Amino acid sequence: GTGSDSCHGARGGLAGGVVALVNSVGLGPGLRAWAGAGGARGESWRAWGGAGRGAGPRLPGLGHGAFLWAQVGYQDFHAFDLSEATRVLEWIGDKGVFVAGYESRKKNEILHLTLPFRLSVKENQGLFPERDFKVRHGGFSDRPVFDLKHVPDTRLLVTSGLPGCYLQVWQVAEDSDVIQAVSTIAVHEKEGHLWPRVAIFSSVAPGILHGVRLSSLKVVDLESQKTMYTSGVSDSDELSSLQVLDAHTFAFCCTSGRLGLVDTRQKWAPSENLSPCPGSGGGRWCAEVGGRGRGPGPHIASLGSDGHLCLLDCRDLSHPESSVQCAVSTPSPAPELLRVTWAPGLDNCLAISGFDGTVQVYDVMSWDGMGGQAEPLFTHRGHVFLDGNGIDTAPLVTTHTWHPQKPRTLLSAASDASLHVWDWVDLRASC
Amino acid sequence: MPEIRVTPLGAGQDVGRSCILVSIGGKNVMLDCGMHMGFNDDRRFPDFSYITRNGRLTDFLDCVIISHFHLDHCGALPYFSEMVGYDGPIYMTHPTQAICPILLEDYRKIAVDKKGEANFFTSQMIKDCMKKVVAVHLHQTVQGDYNMTPDRHLGAAWIDKCRPNLLITESTYATTIRDSKRCRERDFLKKVHETVERGGKVLIPVFALGRAQELCILLETFWERVNLKAPIYFSTGLTEKANHYYKLFITWTNQKIRKTFVQRNMFEFKHIKAFDRAFADNPGPMVVFATPGMLHAGQSLQIFRKWAGNEKNMVIMPGYCVQGTVGHKILSGQRKLEMEGRQVLEVKMQVEYMSFSAHADAKGIMQLVGQAEPESVLLVHGEAKKMEFLKQKIEQEFRVNCYMPANGETVTLPTSPSIPVGISLGLLKREMAQGLLPSAKKPRLLHGTLIMKDSSFQLVSSEQALKELGLAEHQLRFTCRVHLHDSRKEQETAARVYSHLKSVLKDHCVQHLPDGSVTVESILIQAAAHSEDPGTKVLLVSWTYQDEELGSYLTSLLKKGLPQAPS
Repeated sequence: GTGSDSCHGARGGLAGGVVALVNSVGLGPGLRAWAGAGGARGESWRAWGGAGRGAGPRLPGLGHGAFLWAQVGYQDFHAFDLSEATRVLEWIGDKGVFVAGYESRKKNEILHLTLPFRLSVKENQGLFPERDFKVRHGGFSDRPVFDLKHVPDTRLLVTSGLPGCYLQVWQVAEDSDVIQAVSTIAVHEKEGHLWPRVAIFSSVAPGILHGVRLSSLKVVDLESQKTMYTSGVSDSDELSSLQVLDAHTFAFCCTSGRLGLVDTRQKWAPSENLSPCPGSGGGRWCAEVGGRGRGPGPHIASLGSDGHLCLLDCRDLSHPESSVQCAVSTPSPAPELLRVTWAPGLDNCLAISGFDGTVQVYDVMSWDGMGGQAEPLFTHRGHVFLDGNGIDTAPLVTTHTWHPQKPRTLLSAASDASLHVWDWVDLRASC
Repeated sequence: MPEIRVTPLGAGQDVGRSCILVSIGGKNVMLDCGMHMGFNDDRRFPDFSYITRNGRLTDFLDCVIISHFHLDHCGALPYFSEMVGYDGPIYMTHPTQAICPILLEDYRKIAVDKKGEANFFTSQMIKDCMKKVVAVHLHQTVQGDYNMTPDRHLGAAWIDKCRPNLLITESTYATTIRDSKRCRERDFLKKVHETVERGGKVLIPVFALGRAQELCILLETFWERVNLKAPIYFSTGLTEKANHYYKLFITWTNQKIRKTFVQRNMFEFKHIKAFDRAFADNPGPMVVFATPGMLHAGQSLQIFRKWAGNEKNMVIMPGYCVQGTVGHKILSGQRKLEMEGRQVLEVKMQVEYMSFSAHADAKGIMQLVGQAEPESVLLVHGEAKKMEFLKQKIEQEFRVNCYMPANGETVTLPTSPSIPVGISLGLLKREMAQGLLPSAKKPRLLHGTLIMKDSSFQLVSSEQALKELGLAEHQLRFTCRVHLHDSRKEQETAARVYSHLKSVLKDHCVQHLPDGSVTVESILIQAAAHSEDPGTKVLLVSWTYQDEELGSYLTSLLKKGLPQAPS
């Protein structure tokens, strides 16, 4: 039905406390606003109409400002406004995240935020009023921050940005709330508009994996800044993501879609895919290793700016297992913001963002073969619905991340400085 | 002395017992007089010994200003005025004056009746204290505990670009990023709805002021949109009184609400009815707002006792509960409560805590500082270690000094006060007629008389001032004799003097009058023959008291002699 239908006659309860309320004014074409909440009570769905019902007078003076928005399938939903938009969401433990600004004309803030306390509590959630993020530490960066990584088991952070091809190392103070810049790591490649990707080899002597292109890929010891490993190749493929898998292996993905797994104990000899995902016409790619797919080993999910999502088994990168076209309408307006992440707490689920103001969750087991259309399990539309501007350019999701412990909780940030924490209900899990 | 001195007596670097002493323009002002809700002993009051050392409070303090009626800003007022001793004026806005005594009495009742405190202020003391209150309009004070996003019925805090020397702001919540109001409201509505849907009853104990109205408006809107039938009740008593006050102070509310007041009074609800205690036994779902807010007595406690045993029911606590109250106990997770007569009440109903706290967050504080454009900022209400980042943020973004004193620590701020002075047109014209206009590099001395009448300053000519005072003016004129060797005639000597002075004193107006005398500005130089020595000429240099400086200069210049005239 469309937004103005009303089915308020339907009785029944809601599984897991799902509430669906509609603002009939704000819905665009094709947006479905009904909750399909199956559940213990056996009712299929419940919805309410908005102002279109015509019953009773509209409350004067409150008007559009008092609308109730569509939220389908949420267990929990918290929306925050940061003072500046962030492109990074990096966990520290499971209770804190780092965010950082990316504006080029002013000082940017790097903030260590602790999650609202009630989200960490398993029982008696209702007793905890603390719904707010707390700024635990803060610091200032002269440059925009495009990537931020926490060095595990230390109080150090590494950030990457522009201008200047170098990585900044920060210290999170113990006795005060300040994040201080402490040193830099030089990246000798002088590239005007390209910034080095970063990943951390966590160990007693942490190593910083970084590079702009395959040719400049290297691992540097954090303390001594000595180079521990280099690719040693002259390939100029631009890197789009780096991911450390264990003490000796890392994965890289190039913007062209070229993927590889590297063992640092050997001279450069990565296992690679032959070509980007079949059926796609180029564009820009990013990827993440994780998940289990069909086989027992880890898989790589590769996402292209034209909406193609490809699944490869790490043991055999030459033959992709499956590929789908995601339910996104346009190619990404900002391919550098493309992100695909595997759910750490769920089998076979991943999330994508970077096409618009939404985050989509997919179940890779439901794909079959190559090239078909895929429907997301869940789409988070909060950044679009809660956008205060309305008619102006819709916000774009800049990054998202899964909660390390709570299986269906995600954090997402958008270009309008909004930050959401949401917990979606798997609508298929009905009894 | 043009300094501002600030000393927090409470809320220096901790939360609660807001009390700041400010010495400004020669006056001593106390801002707020709050209670610390976390303590039961003397620590709950600000440390007044800092000022009582100096003698009687009434002599030392010029006034007390209370920003708003929250207990951590006014809770210690009766103690301060009646038990410590202060008889001077206490300023607050009209709504605060109306609501303050209600909250103070409420709090006193819990402390004394419920918790058996001994050394507490009495009801009479509250009344006596309020007699010292002088109510003022908003432009004279600024609302405390501000929030930059509008409450449904109160306006958002907004401040003019007043450019104060100092902005004092709380920083408790500066490290907080609050979730959107809509999310919190959604959560509240969801809980109420779920309970009502399963046939349960929802009890919302309220403090009778502020939140209750907002939650009513929210529920009313929701009930209307969703066409719910379950009754909503609002208990009478204190709440009615509060509603009454709200209606009186409708002008203080949000623009939108004010506009609708004519068509429909927001505080008369369609779905919300007055509660009768008999309704509590009615079967079926319902929502009840009842006072008091901490379930410590009265109607809300009565209803709670009736409904606590049913797990379908829910109680939603909307705010802070003081230790010792039932509210506090159930929020701590207690499920078995000992009531009077040793009766044990088992709590099976759901307990929820909704915080709709009114404080501003990081963004809000920065917004306020940006609007006001102060010269300096002072932070109170936060812990030093947790304010370092905010301090840096403020200093960087607004390029101002940021201070965070502890309790008892004084911050001194130098200021450069500017005092506007009006100058009479006649005086100005006369000075301009004197000759060359003064420039930044060559200032000129202006003589006048400063008249201070009421609070204005006027600079007028001495004659005018004398006239106003009815005094006669006496002119003082100095004359100096300078002897020169010159055998020529006086007229020639005078001419030589003229050309000499003209060439030397380029900045001054030098004139040669028809009668032979030379004037430099208002100084007169006449050449006369020496009575005995024809080879000597006497120059008479005469000047008025005002031109003393120039006069002495000319004299010493002429004493050096004239340059040889070309023959």
